Amino acid sequence: MEKSLNIFVLVKQVPDQGSKAGLNPDGTIDRAKAKRMLNPFDRYALQAAIHTKKQYGGKITAISMGPPPAVEVLLETIEHGVDRCFLLSDRRLAASDTLATAYALYKTVLYAGKFDLIFCGLQTTDGDTAQVGPQLAERLDLPQISYCEWFGLDNDKILAKRIIEGGCQKVVSSLPCLVTVANSYHPLEYKSFKGAWRVQQLQRNPDNLKKIIQTIDLDVIGADPDRCGLKGSPTIVAATEKVGDLGGNCQMHEGKSPHELVKEVLASTNLNELIKA
Amino acid sequence: MSDQDNRIEYDLLLIGGSPSNLTLAYEFLKLAKTSSREFSIAILEKSKEFGGHIMSGAVSNPHVLKKIFPNYEELGFPVEAICDDSNVSVLGINKKWDLPSFVYPKSMDKTGYMVLTLSYVTAWLARQVEELAKDVPNVSLDIFTGFSAHSVKIENEKVVGVSVVEEPKSDDDYVFAKFSAFGDKGFISRDVIDHFKLRNNPQIWSVGVKEVWQCNANYSGKVWHTLGYPLLDGTFGGGFVYGMKDNKLTIGLVISLDSQDPNLNPQEKLQEYKKHPWIQGMIKDGKLLKYGAALLPEGGYYSLPSKFYVNGAILLGDALGVLDVKNLAGIDRAMECGHIAAKVIYDAIINDNYHSDALKDYQLKLQDSFVIKEAYNNRYFRYAFQENHDLLGKYLPDIAKSIDKSSPYFGMLKIGFKHPFKSTKDGLRSLALIEGKIDIGPITYKSDSSHIIPDFVKPKYDEPVNYDKQTIYSRPDAVFFASTKYHEGNKHIDEFKAQTCVTCIQKYESLNKTTPCVSDCTAEVHRIDVIDSVKRHGMSLENCIHCRTCEIVCPELNLRVKPTSQGSGPDFQGL
Repeated sequence: MEKSLNIFVLVKQVPDQGSKAGLNPDGTIDRAKAKRMLNPFDRYALQAAIHTKKQYGGKITAISMGPPPAVEVLLETIEHGVDRCFLLSDRRLAASDTLATAYALYKTVLYAGKFDLIFCGLQTTDGDTAQVGPQLAERLDLPQISYCEWFGLDNDKILAKRIIEGGCQKVVSSLPCLVTVANSYHPLEYKSFKGAWRVQQLQRNPDNLKKIIQTIDLDVIGADPDRCGLKGSPTIVAATEKVGDLGGNCQMHEGKSPHELVKEVLASTNLNELIKA
Repeated sequence: MSDQDNRIEYDLLLIGGSPSNLTLAYEFLKLAKTSSREFSIAILEKSKEFGGHIMSGAVSNPHVLKKIFPNYEELGFPVEAICDDSNVSVLGINKKWDLPSFVYPKSMDKTGYMVLTLSYVTAWLARQVEELAKDVPNVSLDIFTGFSAHSVKIENEKVVGVSVVEEPKSDDDYVFAKFSAFGDKGFISRDVIDHFKLRNNPQIWSVGVKEVWQCNANYSGKVWHTLGYPLLDGTFGGGFVYGMKDNKLTIGLVISLDSQDPNLNPQEKLQEYKKHPWIQGMIKDGKLLKYGAALLPEGGYYSLPSKFYVNGAILLGDALGVLDVKNLAGIDRAMECGHIAAKVIYDAIINDNYHSDALKDYQLKLQDSFVIKEAYNNRYFRYAFQENHDLLGKYLPDIAKSIDKSSPYFGMLKIGFKHPFKSTKDGLRSLALIEGKIDIGPITYKSDSSHIIPDFVKPKYDEPVNYDKQTIYSRPDAVFFASTKYHEGNKHIDEFKAQTCVTCIQKYESLNKTTPCVSDCTAEVHRIDVIDSVKRHGMSLENCIHCRTCEIVCPELNLRVKPTSQGSGPDFQGL
């Protein structure tokens, strides 16, 4: 394949799983308080984009939608080898459901220009719907390969293996195409030195940074504000229930020798019977 | 910084986020602040965070710190305690004898010195560098944590940079610099030393193993340096116990790797040390917080490279080997290296002098400083114990025994009776060497592993019996407390020839021992696997805490520990 591919990858900043994200009184996540991270599922999508660039040549554009701090995850993608980024940031997007999000991203993708491949993560760890990728493909009227765990390109076609229940499916599609990447794909490689270098240069030069990471709003991409945010979201969060701390009642046995501890654990459970059985 | 022809090039590249290099960066920034010229500096640190791969005792003379950071208190310098009770003690199996202060060298009195957690100090230094850089807009400072220097790039006999990947293919895989400063513990600087043939005398090493405990009582400011138990087999070394704030206690052992014993097992020795009733009393009902191990370059003056610089690069701190065993001091010396290097490199860049003589002043100024002057005064300290094996192999065990049985003075008397002429002569000669009172000219060291006696018979001595088993940790358990994080794909220990290991295993097993790599590993990395009925050397690299002991003790020189990628390795924060 000689032509240079335009590879898009969609990423999202999510609350860090390691830190306890607070809930707002209405049951939504308090994003301002939570520590933030790149959505773990998107790491596979990013790796797919990097593989494509390395193997077939091209440029990677990362697109994200979120509040201004989301620029952090875009910088992270640059460390990994992404060439340019778009951050769609607009207060009117707050409380978007998947329908509104897919619409806003659809407009962003059109604004970002020509593309051959769009990689998305399976889902996010804060929404967990796995709907945005497929919805975006529908809006763009693109063929889509979801749950992809392997792919190769061949003469404007993509050959891919997607996970289905009980096995896998081999599919072929024309390009452009949208691919949601399963987490059985390769884990994200370590950031590159050149990427880490580039990010430090960009952070020192705000003008260049603006050129590489373009922050855009609904007006720039020509999106209808009524179809975004809470207004454009038919989904209603009726109630949020706290399940309570997971793990039930855990008993800690400590402060004795391993031998005594094992004895104690066996005595306090029915493990002994199981062993005998 | 230029990116011509895709080459990333800096004025100054600091290899290793060490106290020496961070001091160099800080001092360079101070100098650059007075200039209108633009400078670029990069720091490579193999750990994910500054301080993650560094550990030390440590009790340190703050004189250099105070010189560089007069307002260190204001800046929140992390001090664990100020030593107000300094002891040198000899341990028997059950008792401890605190030496009267007139008996031991003055350098062992640490009153007024700072007890430090070196990982915190390093992280603090890095923060000072980053903060100062914000005030010096003419310096662009790039920080690459989680990136190692994997090999040295030499063009026309000049160090021009290092590779940042294991197998560099293009210029993209290198970072270039007008001057490189090596402040590592030998992982990469040994390549510079080897290439330019800077060392005739090998470096000799000790391994330090250390645990930090949360205790129930406060020992803050108390410092003990101990001789004797559990090192009663002639091996050079000693223990240290430092009281820190918040009821924390540092317990460690430094064991030289020129031991005759092929099965030292430093981690196990540390557990034996902890069994001593004196330590047991302090850690009873306490909690182990952290464990780690690191090498100490001990050769001193005669292991220093013939040149402290080469064309395009300088060596600092442990890369140079400025640690002073007699003074138990390294941090202040490393920082002084950085302090001196900053001015020399700054002047060279200002004068556009990139020739080999540009760095000449670094060596001259360092030789004129306390660093090399004291190294020279103490040049025979380590050798005195190598020359006369009886000091640690016979006399010390005798004294240790007498501490338990009667009185140490009785033990000394006994030595006098047992070896009336020899012990006095030995004592005088060794004391003269230790104190630098006689000059016997340059000395040569043998490499550490060449001291190993494969069929070494360990002298038998009793062990303390009444200890709390809860305070003793096996080696695999200890690794947990080094918080290692391993990233797939890191193969950072090279084994050159598999067959060499097979033969070595056969040799040691026939003597009812195991190989030095297996026994002396501080983190349960090396093991013996039976594959197709042949006993082979295997490695659990995910346990490795990067101490490099295996490389030093391998009698066949068949191992090499390299820096890891992706910040892989231990997390020594808190050590």
